[in-house]
Amino acid sequence: MADGAAQPTHWQLFIGMQQVALSSFGGGLSAWSERIVVEQRQWMTKEEFITGLTVARLFPGPNQINMAVYIGSRFRGLTGAIAALFGMLLLPFSLLMLLGLGYFYLHEILAVDRVLAGVITASAGMALSMGFKIAGAYSRDPVAMLLAGASFLAMTVFHVRLVPLVLVAGPLAMAWYWPRGEQR
Amino acid sequence: MSATAVCHAVQLGDWRQLLAVIWDFLSLSLFSLGGGNTLLTEYHRMAVDQYCWLSSRQFADIYAIAEAAPGPSSMIVGLLGMGAAVKEGPLWGLFSGLMAEIAILLPSTLLMVAAALSWNRTLNSPGRVAFERGLGPVTLGILFAVGLKILRISDHDTPAYAVSLVVCVLMLRTKISPLWFMAVAGLMGALGLVNR
Repeated sequence: MADGAAQPTHWQLFIGMQQVALSSFGGGLSAWSERIVVEQRQWMTKEEFITGLTVARLFPGPNQINMAVYIGSRFRGLTGAIAALFGMLLLPFSLLMLLGLGYFYLHEILAVDRVLAGVITASAGMALSMGFKIAGAYSRDPVAMLLAGASFLAMTVFHVRLVPLVLVAGPLAMAWYWPRGEQR
Repeated sequence: MSATAVCHAVQLGDWRQLLAVIWDFLSLSLFSLGGGNTLLTEYHRMAVDQYCWLSSRQFADIYAIAEAAPGPSSMIVGLLGMGAAVKEGPLWGLFSGLMAEIAILLPSTLLMVAAALSWNRTLNSPGRVAFERGLGPVTLGILFAVGLKILRISDHDTPAYAVSLVVCVLMLRTKISPLWFMAVAGLMGALGLVNR
């Protein structure tokens, strides 16, 4: 843990993560998380934070939610994780639920529907960009591109479900990329 | 959509159905690779094809709302849960949304707690290296499939596809906040330049 800083209490974890959630209204959750946890509150060093982010990205679950859980549990175990998680989600989730109620009760209004008809074309473009965003990391590795192509075809053309796909392709890919001494 | 004639919407009053839904989210949780977006096609299959909570069109709307709202976009599960029960009243909608969100987050959170408390062992094992290198490309393929699926349910004519492609390119080439793209596209929708 960072020098000179006391271990945050459950309440401080809750408030700190709420501050992250509030600051990031409009985007940049990851950057705000680092600014508040490392620079302002000095709960962790930058290295500790990056290690946490690596673990958060590696494990299943949304990255930023995992990061809150990581921070909470490093200081206060399971209950600390819950405090951090509540801090991170309470306000955004409440707001989203309000938006949701608004949507389900108002979406049949013509004006709302027409605006949404436009908005979804933008969000579809955003969804399409997700793959391209990380594709660069693999484009020089033919085996990786083969794996990616096969996974894509399995889902789109052969309608393979996600869980069996991951259970079959995952172990095969892991076996291929298992570190083999000095050769790799 | 003719699909509505084929399946029957799940009623929350039927507890066995509710438990089945919670179980579905619980068991998907640990398969959320690359931050959760890989699960979107499964969510669509569940919410639209299997349980008939939403039309494909509503799913596209909900995805956009979850993307536009502040906070992690994976909270879309809360909106799916709400869609499942909102016909029975707003309180049922809120309750069901909360249950769905808890179910999708619980397993991955517990695993993450375990990982945080034993992280140095996790980080240095060869299995971790293989997992990261191996699952990365699989995630990539899944994300392309997810992107294509969302594109197909959202866009139905050439102007719509054109807007999506432009947004996609701008997302990759610029650092403009996605909220701007949504605002401009929403305006285009209001003016009738893009339609369903």
